[in-house]
Amino acid sequence: MANGYDVVVIGSGAGGAPIANMLVKAGKNVLMLEKGPLFRTQDQTSGLSDFKRDELFATGPEKIIRVERAANWGESYYSSHVEPDLNDEPHIYRDADGRDRATLEGYTAQCVGGGTQLYGGVSLRFSPLDFRLKSFNENGAALRNDPNGDVKREARDWPITYDDLEPYYTLAEELVGISGTRQNQLKPASREVYQKPLPPNPISRFVEIGMDALGMPRYRTPLAVITEDHPPSGRTYPGGEAAKTGYVNRYGCPLGLKSSTWVALLAPIYGRPNFELRPNCTVTHLECDSSGNVTKVVYLDAGGQRREVSGKLIVVACSAIESVRLLKLSALESAEFDRRINQNDLLGKYFLTHCFGGAEAIMPGRYDKSLSVDSDWATDACATPDFIRSNGLWAGGAIYNNTSDQCLPISLARTHGSQDIDTIWKAFVEDTSLTGERLASFFDENFGTRLSVSFMANQVPLKTNRIELHPTVKDKWGRNVAYIIKEWHPHDQYLMDVFAEQCARVLRFGGDGGRGNYPVFEKGGVYQAENGLARIANHILGGARFGTDRNDSVLDPNCRAWEFDNLYVTDGSFMPTSGGANPTLTIQANSFRVADHLLSRL
Amino acid sequence: MGTALAPAVRRAFESGTVVQKDDTYVLNHTTKYLARANVDERHNYGQFPQGDPRARICESWRFPVIDGYYDPADPEESYHWNEVTFVYRTFDGTQPGSVSVVGTFAPLYQEIPLRRIGGTPYFAVTVMVPKGEVHTYRYVVDGRQELDPINPQTAVADNGRVWSRFFTHGCTQRLSFEPWEMDILERLTDHILPFRTVEGQRFLDRYYQQLDRAARESQYPIAYRFDESVGIANFIDKLVAREENHRLIDYKICLEIINRLLRMRNPFVEPRLMSKEMYIELYNQMASGNVPGWDYGAYQNPRFFLQLLRRHAITGAFAHPKYGGNAAASGWVYLSERYRDPETGATLFDWRRVQEPPLGTDQQYRG
Ligand SMILES: Cc1cc2nc3c(=O)[nH]c(=O)nc-3n(C[C@H](O)[C@H](O)[C@H](O)COP(=O)(O)OP(=O)(O)OC[C@H]3O[C@@H](n4cnc5c(N)ncnc54)[C@H](O)[C@@H]3O)c2cc1C
Repeated sequence: MANGYDVVVIGSGAGGAPIANMLVKAGKNVLMLEKGPLFRTQDQTSGLSDFKRDELFATGPEKIIRVERAANWGESYYSSHVEPDLNDEPHIYRDADGRDRATLEGYTAQCVGGGTQLYGGVSLRFSPLDFRLKSFNENGAALRNDPNGDVKREARDWPITYDDLEPYYTLAEELVGISGTRQNQLKPASREVYQKPLPPNPISRFVEIGMDALGMPRYRTPLAVITEDHPPSGRTYPGGEAAKTGYVNRYGCPLGLKSSTWVALLAPIYGRPNFELRPNCTVTHLECDSSGNVTKVVYLDAGGQRREVSGKLIVVACSAIESVRLLKLSALESAEFDRRINQNDLLGKYFLTHCFGGAEAIMPGRYDKSLSVDSDWATDACATPDFIRSNGLWAGGAIYNNTSDQCLPISLARTHGSQDIDTIWKAFVEDTSLTGERLASFFDENFGTRLSVSFMANQVPLKTNRIELHPTVKDKWGRNVAYIIKEWHPHDQYLMDVFAEQCARVLRFGGDGGRGNYPVFEKGGVYQAENGLARIANHILGGARFGTDRNDSVLDPNCRAWEFDNLYVTDGSFMPTSGGANPTLTIQANSFRVADHLLSRL
Repeated sequence: MGTALAPAVRRAFESGTVVQKDDTYVLNHTTKYLARANVDERHNYGQFPQGDPRARICESWRFPVIDGYYDPADPEESYHWNEVTFVYRTFDGTQPGSVSVVGTFAPLYQEIPLRRIGGTPYFAVTVMVPKGEVHTYRYVVDGRQELDPINPQTAVADNGRVWSRFFTHGCTQRLSFEPWEMDILERLTDHILPFRTVEGQRFLDRYYQQLDRAARESQYPIAYRFDESVGIANFIDKLVAREENHRLIDYKICLEIINRLLRMRNPFVEPRLMSKEMYIELYNQMASGNVPGWDYGAYQNPRFFLQLLRRHAITGAFAHPKYGGNAAASGWVYLSERYRDPETGATLFDWRRVQEPPLGTDQQYRG
């Protein structure tokens, strides 16, 4: 295959893997370059997986920030075994006080499979409305907390509709391997491909009661976890409740039951003569010729040696922040690349995550929450046009409960009072009263008793929310790191308050049999968090949005960079709006769609 | 010293036997840490002297790589072993012709050659070593012995010679602390964790009593210190020897201060035998930051040390026993016994269901 690659795919996560899967099966020659290691399941090795059910894998030992001039220099961090090291490759964000801080936010996981190795696997579709928020808002009434009309001005329709994407949603669900139920979803499906969900954890009963009392039509959360044998990937299910381990969110699955893109899409083509996967290889930049062809992909191999490859078509899928960074670094290397990728000023702009947050309560009784997958119940009740309009909102979102959170003892302690990766351990460490008897009561109160309900909703796209190259901070290779500059629009804040209240109501009504008075002790949106400007919920979207107007987008409707002939970007960065649900299934579906287009070119 | 633990029956495999691993395995555990171009010391937070090349490397403590071992022909015996992968590279651009490793883990200190990992600057070899052991080694590079340029752990032999050192899972040999330091550590962490509450104590007594010798060897082969502790001091002893070596200095200084301070407060009783009240008082003073008699010149912030100790204690109590704490899974058992369904009596923390045998009962997962 030496120089005859049809496609070079950079990044093996949700955006990259579907392309490789489809093109390799169609007989095309595909090379995939992945920065992280190839961590395998038990069956793929001599017997042990590189992923373990080990709480210290998800949150490692203490390290200390040594990023020059960062305002949080000297603070502790605890990265997982597949996150990049913060001192080697920090993301920098500009905080509310105008100072720069280093953060692990905005990374998913760096290994074959990318974020899908660690994800909770919540695999919701976006609603048909999520694809046309501009049209939807054009004739609507005024929105709350949007005095300048920003929201209506900045809303965009996607260049494709739900119906365009629908066949690919179904294909993605089928090939990835998803379990859940369909009835009550606002998202029509052409074919049923879900596997049967496992029985819910008993604590989720309260969510059922609450949603029913509130008239919120509910369905079993679709999860990227197989519960039966999965012929497309050749995986077998051991039976019973084997997938319910509690080691779910932030843990790779040693048995391969979680449908990461590695086990679901790449392992089935691994070993074919027309597929080559090179893990531990970091792409540093792309080079192009004067007719807009990317001619070289330059990367550092596992030993740190510079190498080059080329292919007819190039697909960038490093997850949004790193893809934007790669394109910007390529522009720094060559005027030609610069001129083409920056044909307008939009690369890196309209960076998005989600409006997210929720509510949490201590429920009556105690449950073995370690007998869980990530989520049991979801509802689209807050994604209907009715709900959106009657609340003065521009868009809707999904609500679902978390079952596995804080189900293990160390995670209960280290996430006490903090739920993100930058502030982990912080509150527990500072709360020195939790000791001896009081620590015993802390466990008595919180272990197996807490239940949280979360929302995931559209964030207003703003041009000022953006990814740049940081002017001074360099990674371990001397390359400028990504600089995240973002804030929450007042309408986002309002929306988060509305959604958090909805989550709280589910618990209030669920906890006391439908009367609505059960006490909820925590409720809110991410904008209220101490480090709310850093938080990204692992949902890294936008920055290279696609569209039909070359002056208003970075990519064309096929996710091709406008001024290039063979350069495509297929991770979450293509999204013009962030959708009212967790993004991964949509990234995967879109990649299958783009793969079809690429096939037509080869 | 702690007892060397692997029971004498483990003979089916031989320590130092080379295990064939593919290049991808080696690179998977190497590239992120060792492939780099930076010369700044961005990974030095006090654990390295200035100029130490390890300060440029991320998580140099990961080397040699200690991993599980599994032979499908003998899973039970496999559980008592680790794979240890030695990785060598230079950082000055030179490329040695041959590299081998010589150490106490191989019979007769036999030299074991490392192989060049194709097209990279790395040399590597994987060998089997029993769990629960400490070993020293050196590399032989083009015929000359040298210390591991990556792994920061060293040990000084009786003849004064310095060796590189590693230890395998479930190790209980003291590496960082003196016996008196361990004593104070145990007393301090006792107070932090729920195990020395009246009920906690009752649990521990019952739990350890009911474990007979056979159970200790079959079910908990890597947790051998049945001195009725939960193994926290041992966990911390290992943590500051390896992953959080930058915190060793905090312990050394503060345990010294605390020792002096306690002896000042009661000159007639050994700190290890002092009353629980003495420790609680000290704990509360440390939490407030104001400790009469504390040597603030030597260590500014007693509250900070207490916070560190608490994080380590809770981690050690509930981390997988291979890290040296959570002895005989007593932390997990404590929770699984305490939390039961009031009607059926079934546990509400069924950790065994998803952990590998012989520790747990999962028939698929192997650890
Ligand atoms: C703990 C956690 C829980 C989550 N839960 C959910 C959930 O329940 N539902 C949901 O929808 N989403 C969830 N997510 C988010 C999900 O993981 C991401 O949306 C998804 O993985 C994004 O796909 P991507 O292709 O954009 O990027 P990724 O999947 O992150 O893939 C990018 C890949 O590119 C590689 N790469 C980066 N730079 C380079 C380079 N220079 N050269 C070569 N390779 C490179 C990376 O190593 C990575 O493997 C979760 C994420 C995390 C971390």
